[in-house]
Amino acid sequence: MTEITHPHACQGLDHDLSRRQALAILGGAAGTGIGGLLDPTIAAEVKRKQKQVLFIWLDGAMSQLETWDPKPGTEFGGPFRAIPTAIPGVRFGELVPATAGIADKLTVIRCMSTKDENHSTGVPRIQRGDPKNRGVTYPFLGSAITKLLGPPDNHLPPYMHIKPGRGGYMWKDAGFLGPRYGALGLGDGKPPIHIRRPESLNQQRVTVRDQLRQQANRRFTTGRLDRFISAYDYSFDMARQLTRRQDLFDPTTLPASDIQRYGRHPLGRHLLQARRLLEAGVQFVKVTSYHWDTHGDNFNMHRVMVPQVDRPFAALINDLETRGLLENTLVVLMSEFGRTPKINSRCGRDHWPEAWSVMLAGSGLKPGLIAGSTTANGAFCQDAEYDIGHLFHTIFRCLGLDAKTTQYVNNGQPLPIAHEEMDVIKEVLA
Amino acid sequence: MNPAASTKLAVTKSWLRTTLEHDRQLYCCLFSRDGRFVFAGCQDGTILRWPLESIEKAAAPRNKSPKTKTPVPRTILEGHTTWVSRLAITADGKRLVSSDLHGNLIAWDLAAKKPAPAWRVNNAHPGRPGDPGWIRAIALTSDGKTLISAGTDAIIRLWSVADGKPAGTLDGHRGDIFSLAVHPDGRSLVSGDIFGTVNQWDLSKRKVVRVLDAAQLHTRKDNFLADVGGVRSLAFDAKGTRLACGGMTDAKSNAFCPGHPAVLLFDWASGKQTRLLRMKKGKADDGPINGLKFLADGTLVGQGERLHAVCSLEFWNPDDGKVLHVIDTPSGYDLDLHPDGQQICTPVWIANGRSGNGRHAKPDEYKAHFGHVRVYQLTEKPAPAPAKT
Repeated sequence: MTEITHPHACQGLDHDLSRRQALAILGGAAGTGIGGLLDPTIAAEVKRKQKQVLFIWLDGAMSQLETWDPKPGTEFGGPFRAIPTAIPGVRFGELVPATAGIADKLTVIRCMSTKDENHSTGVPRIQRGDPKNRGVTYPFLGSAITKLLGPPDNHLPPYMHIKPGRGGYMWKDAGFLGPRYGALGLGDGKPPIHIRRPESLNQQRVTVRDQLRQQANRRFTTGRLDRFISAYDYSFDMARQLTRRQDLFDPTTLPASDIQRYGRHPLGRHLLQARRLLEAGVQFVKVTSYHWDTHGDNFNMHRVMVPQVDRPFAALINDLETRGLLENTLVVLMSEFGRTPKINSRCGRDHWPEAWSVMLAGSGLKPGLIAGSTTANGAFCQDAEYDIGHLFHTIFRCLGLDAKTTQYVNNGQPLPIAHEEMDVIKEVLA
Repeated sequence: MNPAASTKLAVTKSWLRTTLEHDRQLYCCLFSRDGRFVFAGCQDGTILRWPLESIEKAAAPRNKSPKTKTPVPRTILEGHTTWVSRLAITADGKRLVSSDLHGNLIAWDLAAKKPAPAWRVNNAHPGRPGDPGWIRAIALTSDGKTLISAGTDAIIRLWSVADGKPAGTLDGHRGDIFSLAVHPDGRSLVSGDIFGTVNQWDLSKRKVVRVLDAAQLHTRKDNFLADVGGVRSLAFDAKGTRLACGGMTDAKSNAFCPGHPAVLLFDWASGKQTRLLRMKKGKADDGPINGLKFLADGTLVGQGERLHAVCSLEFWNPDDGKVLHVIDTPSGYDLDLHPDGQQICTPVWIANGRSGNGRHAKPDEYKAHFGHVRVYQLTEKPAPAPAKT
């Protein structure tokens, strides 16, 4: 295993080799597309390694009983029916007919059983993979992936987060990896503000300003920790690179049929934007939707909200497949836990980490598979139970990373990239 | 006639007459026209019928599992496959109609010892793929010949009570319909939807003739994923001079759906809102007014959600908007007034073990919550009979 001098570098052998290969070539390819300059074998290898991830986060927690693991007619089943899917004998909730129709392209884990029933601790715990406490703050999945896979050569920010509300640079995602591995937040899927150069500024003035900025940066850098200062430069460079890709955010170039298929609601627009970013080569695209915490009026709310996921999600999977992207893109749709089987006094469902579902698709997975099961009333896992650590191992494996042999090194401290007492969920792997 | 009651309404002296218990959550309830029975619609798809005569013979009510006491004998009507959403009964008392959240309607002949379906209409509100057809409200015309149903498809549908055959549609809402009420004159119907639109329909012309604005009961903020609130309950007073619209205002999110329970009172002649009724201060508001009835003396009773799985039954003087009396109850979803005008019933939620986040129970102890029907007497409690010597 090669010692890597950067304090936060990962130590995966495969990854190390591929990075060395790529960096050597990129050194000679400076500023041009790499495809034509690479040895075809290595080019194929690089391309193979350029995995992408779409991570859809339904914050607050969508109900598994109203979607991927319905139990109609049971004490906890709720009023919705179950419908057939493209997998013979498997049924989803009636609110997800579009996704049910493409179930043969999907992989569902129905036996997630995690530890935390609170949002405040559960959200970061889940998105960080809940490793053992090592006295450091682990990175969120997006930061981890961009670190572990290394940046693709496409001059785009590798980790972009489409979310409601405001955007901005979300450095806290990166944990101990350092701010450089944070997410570029796109508020409402829109590009960062000031992405367009004011007409009053010509290129000459922009260049002069940038030189001044660099001069000020050099003075500011003196005596300060490089890891934080470099993040400023990095985020600036990302923003500058993004100014050259304004086309990615131009709504006028979207076909009307796409807008219609995905829907005009926030999730529809954001998932369509996610597709554009994935097509452009962004390595990790996270899409967050808030307000899924249906302690009150769960059934009225799910009736309206779930279709906002169902249709654009199915459209996106189909589009990724049609474009040949699904093979190298891992899609994850999940929340921080599930919702209680018990129906509370407000016709709501509360937090339920005991037995819930995660939806996966794409890279490295066995499509059309339902892993695990819950009891007849949906309350508990039957047989297998998988924690978030198992899922992180599986996600890494789907991207070509072996979490058993790959480590972070943080200030000389080796750190596992996933819970070392857990392993991949073998049954879902292709 | 209820032997336990005096004849004079005295809401400030109301008391809990009985609790009728079930081991699953209940969603709606109704007195029979002759006042001898209470019906309740359940999440398990059954309708329960309890004879009120037997109440005095039953054990004292306790908030415990039905297994721990002898329940009041009851009849179970089976025919629905999902939550029974609403119940209505014809003026002659011979036929009960029930609706469910699969869009089905069933009419039951009550003459039989165990009522059986006289007819059923499956998919009366059919819905679309991914958008199930729920029936949220039903009502009967004054002549008892026509059943009116409404729900998630935003279309009001009319049916023959005699045989369940379609008798027309009323199309005039933009979104889910939650509530229906027929004016005492029998000529008008009102229907309330998610957006706070209350349509007045001329039943003979089958047209919207007026729209009342109850938009205060609807909330949609920029960051919401869904519209929240709606006109959850409607009630006319006996003379038909006032219309009460129940719901909540100022919803804070589409997740918990918390808001401020509210009743908008309208003057029927002018169509103008005259009052906004709030629940008595002192406890945190939480959810909508789910049931409304006017008593014979004009008092309005409504049921609004408070925090921590409790409701308040609030009695208002509609003339000045003041709260006359409050009864704390567990969370309830519906309200009906006994034909004698002196009792109300409400289906309430009763915890079975701990509720809230996480399980906090062994798998074999993790069971569905209970549902009770509470019957409140709105008159002074009679003094106990003197002991025989």
